[in-house]
Amino acid sequence: MILDMAFKNLIRQGMRSLLNVLVTALIIIAIIFALSLLNGFQAQALRNMSTTDVAGGHYRVPGFDILTPTEWEDLTLPVPQALRHLPHSEKAEVLVQQGQLFPNRRLFPVQLRGINIDQSLLDLPLHTLKNGRMEIGETIPVVLGKQMAKKAHLTVGDTVVLKWRDKFGAVDALDVRVMDVAPMINPRIDEGVVWMRLDHLRQITQRAGEVTWVAVKRPVGPVAGFEFQTVENLMADLLTLLKHDRRNTRILWFFLIALAGISVFNTQILNVFKRQKEIGTLMALGMTSKKIIRLFSLEGILTALMAIVAAAVLGVPFFIWFQGVGFDISHLSETGFPVREKIFLDIKMAEVVYSTLVTVGIMVLMSWLPVRKVARLEPTQALRGRAIT
Amino acid sequence: MLKIQNVSKVYRVGGQDFIALHNINLEIEDGAFMSFVGPSGSGKTTLLNLIGGLDSPTSGEVVFNGFHLNEMSRDQLAVLRRENIGFIFQSYNLLPVYSVYENILFPLLLNKQKESQVRDKVMALVEKVGLSAEANKKPAELSGGQCQRVAIARALVKDPLLVLADEPTANLDVENSHHILEMMRTLNQETQAAFIFSTHDEKVTRFVNREVALEDGYVKSDKVKQPNGELI
Repeated sequence: MILDMAFKNLIRQGMRSLLNVLVTALIIIAIIFALSLLNGFQAQALRNMSTTDVAGGHYRVPGFDILTPTEWEDLTLPVPQALRHLPHSEKAEVLVQQGQLFPNRRLFPVQLRGINIDQSLLDLPLHTLKNGRMEIGETIPVVLGKQMAKKAHLTVGDTVVLKWRDKFGAVDALDVRVMDVAPMINPRIDEGVVWMRLDHLRQITQRAGEVTWVAVKRPVGPVAGFEFQTVENLMADLLTLLKHDRRNTRILWFFLIALAGISVFNTQILNVFKRQKEIGTLMALGMTSKKIIRLFSLEGILTALMAIVAAAVLGVPFFIWFQGVGFDISHLSETGFPVREKIFLDIKMAEVVYSTLVTVGIMVLMSWLPVRKVARLEPTQALRGRAIT
Repeated sequence: MLKIQNVSKVYRVGGQDFIALHNINLEIEDGAFMSFVGPSGSGKTTLLNLIGGLDSPTSGEVVFNGFHLNEMSRDQLAVLRRENIGFIFQSYNLLPVYSVYENILFPLLLNKQKESQVRDKVMALVEKVGLSAEANKKPAELSGGQCQRVAIARALVKDPLLVLADEPTANLDVENSHHILEMMRTLNQETQAAFIFSTHDEKVTRFVNREVALEDGYVKSDKVKQPNGELI
């Protein structure tokens, strides 16, 4: 009977119930959306880092540090025997050296990154280099990322002087020709980086057969003379950043949940306040306080359940639509996050379930809290509408 | 059926004691049709609330049908009201989201009766109070007189021993008041339920068999209708 009453009360309150349900449903959708968007952002950042740079880890020359360019020239070794036999789909040989570009007579320190052009392990937009000749002619073909090209004021077809030092310390210089300005989805392989064929870089630095690291699909065990850097090591700074992001999301999640709770609490207080006479009447008719509390709490629970249904009805089409268009974050393209211009939701069922359950739990609690007062109401006061002020 | 023994009620208002009832003693028999009359603040509603177990006396005792109300818990009082006492309020106090039919049915559902078993009884009562055509309407769609008829039907549907009506005609015009009082008198005779009104409406006097006048919390007079129709 109480359930039937609660249901009738809820349905027949019309607009008030509808708004309640709608607000709660929107909060549930907002919570899931915010969490999933961050998941999508993080997943994309990790995936992009992995597919463009890190792969399954690096076998690196011991002591190499990407942040110490002055030591790059001393830290190269021939490709170890254990990695030579790996197919191109499972390894990418990389040589990193210092260089200086002189665009518009300005000095521009750059990282020369040579990569085995036949590799298919990393997803890099370097196809224009593949088509070039093995031998270096009057210019060295290079590819720049969009950010790098923008900062150096270079465009496709430009030639610019490149200066470098070879293995023996001799300084040499030659024009490089920008074959392509490619969209690099990972800023670490864009800003300050000049991409060239590995054989070209080896040739100009006289480091035949040498590499700085070999990116591999999966570890192959210890390799003599090289140290293995795990994915976690190589992405440590990004992972730390994402961890902070997750913490911020938790704060956002908490605020949204609190918002939902306050909204329901406010509604229930208003409900109890506005319905004092009704409560008094129910008491006069012989309904016990416990049953009245149960009635109001049930109304809260039913609101929560209806909100879940509404969230599903409104949320699913919205999420489907959103997956089609994505979220434009091109304004972030100059930040250090390795993300594409659009991100998409990564909906985790566990998060959906616990966010929904927590929202419903909070709603039930917030429905019950103000109604507790009913138990202490004097029927005569309630009938006069003066029990709660 | 009802004994009110040395009942006093004191309210604390603004840090000061306000004595609403002074040492009231009354005895009310089964099937009574009576009123508490008096001006505002005389203690009529307070006395009705004490009889109905909605409030408790500061001192003294109310004994209803052998139950000592002072000794009963809130839940026990709720059960007592649910089973034995019907209430009619000045502003009707109908449940706003329920239809006429559902409002009248409600007390029976509270008494754990099944709708299928009492539907005919409820509909008969709806007809008796002249609201068959309005059975599915909500209170907001009814006139004041119609609402009060719903309230009367709701009070009587559970076959109570006692019906307490607080200013039942205060919000009604003369014609509606007359109809309502006539209806209650008829129902009193048919059901043998005792009716006690609180009122300051002199029209009511013509209908009741007994009139207790209250003033400043004291019983000023207690008149019973004589065979000649006079209250003495």
